[in-house]
Amino acid sequence: MGQLILGQLLNGAIVGTLYGILALGVTLTFGITGIVNFALGAFMMLGAYIAWYLADGIGMPYVFAVLGAVLVTAIGGFIADQALFRFTRNNLVNGLLVSIGLIAIMEGGALLIWTSTPKDMHYVLPGVLHIFGIVVPKMKLAVFALLLAVILATYAALTRTWIGRAAYAYAQNPEAARLMGVNTGRLQTGVVVYSTALAGFGGALYASLYSLEPTMGSLYILKAIEAAILAGIGSVLGSLFGGAILGVTEGTGSIFLPSAFRDAYGLIFLVAILLFKPAGLFASRK
Amino acid sequence: MRPVSKAVVASAMVIALPLVVHSDFLLTILIFSFLLGMLAVSFNLIFGFTGQLSMFHAAAFGISAYATHLSMKYWALTFWEGMLFAAALVTIISVGVGAICFRFKLKEFYFAVVTLAFSEMARLIVLNWNDVTNGSLGINLQDKPTLWIPFQGLIKVDDTLTWYYLSSVGLGLTILVCWRIVHSWMGRCFAAIRLNDELGDALGINVFRYKLAAFATGNFIAAVTGSLYSFYLGFIEPGFLSIDQSLAIIAMVLLGGRSVIAAPVVGAFVLTALPHFIHFSAEVRAIVYGSILILTILLMPRGIVGTLTSRLRGARNAA
Repeated sequence: MGQLILGQLLNGAIVGTLYGILALGVTLTFGITGIVNFALGAFMMLGAYIAWYLADGIGMPYVFAVLGAVLVTAIGGFIADQALFRFTRNNLVNGLLVSIGLIAIMEGGALLIWTSTPKDMHYVLPGVLHIFGIVVPKMKLAVFALLLAVILATYAALTRTWIGRAAYAYAQNPEAARLMGVNTGRLQTGVVVYSTALAGFGGALYASLYSLEPTMGSLYILKAIEAAILAGIGSVLGSLFGGAILGVTEGTGSIFLPSAFRDAYGLIFLVAILLFKPAGLFASRK
Repeated sequence: MRPVSKAVVASAMVIALPLVVHSDFLLTILIFSFLLGMLAVSFNLIFGFTGQLSMFHAAAFGISAYATHLSMKYWALTFWEGMLFAAALVTIISVGVGAICFRFKLKEFYFAVVTLAFSEMARLIVLNWNDVTNGSLGINLQDKPTLWIPFQGLIKVDDTLTWYYLSSVGLGLTILVCWRIVHSWMGRCFAAIRLNDELGDALGINVFRYKLAAFATGNFIAAVTGSLYSFYLGFIEPGFLSIDQSLAIIAMVLLGGRSVIAAPVVGAFVLTALPHFIHFSAEVRAIVYGSILILTILLMPRGIVGTLTSRLRGARNAA
């Protein structure tokens, strides 16, 4: 029993970082452009398929496949921003609906190209590790470490670099930030592109662990939005913790309660948080 | 044209149409458009007129579809009694959900997320309560509602023409109810809440009560639609409560137009008819659907009806 719980905790934490990397994109996009980009889930799907295609279809080394996936999703994010999201800045409802239209197009496209048959990538890093008597695949740990590193690096960049401070300043007061010389248009585009690249990175790593389906993104983006709200929108490290809390709640929840309802546990938790601590668990900076 | 004469012309056209058009195919599309139009018009009461982006509408629709069937099956009710029971049940649930959301002053995105959470919970219950709901396989409905018609007695509603008139009466009543509400003091409170609910509160409008009234009324009509739609289709499945269904309703409203009461019917008609007239594979249909959604929002933010009326008005002013 103890091992089962420990295993689920670990699994929850790993899935939680996947939620977290999308939640980071959700939080950043919302803070800077005022919209919730639901299409990040579709960008994650795109990243996963590109990585799978580059690694298994063409036979590139996995590292380059991941970089290729990040590059493609970043370009896709740039096109989406210039063609669509540029026109819906600070308009929550329109942004939401445009991103939903984009999901339909991307998922439809993925179904046309890759069909609905699930795709599995070859094992990138075979082998397992034994930790406290539980068996953990090496690749899962590698994915966990990489996602954690990227989230922490983003946090460091946001707090230490000029552009990061500019982003914080913009989130607090767009007018003042503009007066202080922040190129706000470029900042907004940059954040949209960065968030899609993050989603593509998460997807590329996802591809090494699980099967790919064109509709995989929708579940993850919902979880990511839950995680972002749970933590308090605008909190960068909070998105990591929010994702981890959600992953662990689902993992351990399905030990004690019927697992058919695992998607509901996070929702109940979320509703409770929104009602009693509407700013989120970790909201300190806006 | 005055609204009353517009309504008379529109209903005369709807009533006369089957005399001219005998094609079952066309009438079937119209029945679906009318039923989904009821759903879209009632959603627009919450979204377009009161400004609350509810994601609960598909849940109200689906819960009612299941509740109608189950109450008929277990308690041997007739269709109309089942429909009343389902509508009452959905109204009670939505008053509960709405009271929680509005009491805690959830707005915009947060309101959308919490209502989405409740409707996902409802969907998961329907999906996993296998003994009663038959899970993801859904249920085939054999029964059809009966109607009492003068000089003909009690008839079963199972042919296209009867369904056509039944659904058009449903749509007409929906539009009438929404029109009465929007053009009353209640509608002005809704508009005040949409434009600035804090200011409305300061002016003495009971924001909580009117938000709840709009939410419950919209969901009540959605529940009635759910009963009719499921028995017309003859099939219910958990997909009725899905996020996609909610999004389809939003798309209909946006495509038709938010500011006119009957405009969402146009959106419902376009989105229902399009896949029937142009044969796409499911993948291409998703792409076309997404493109329509994006183009509508970016190029016609006021929807088809809003854009057309402002064009006409512009032309008249120029002349």
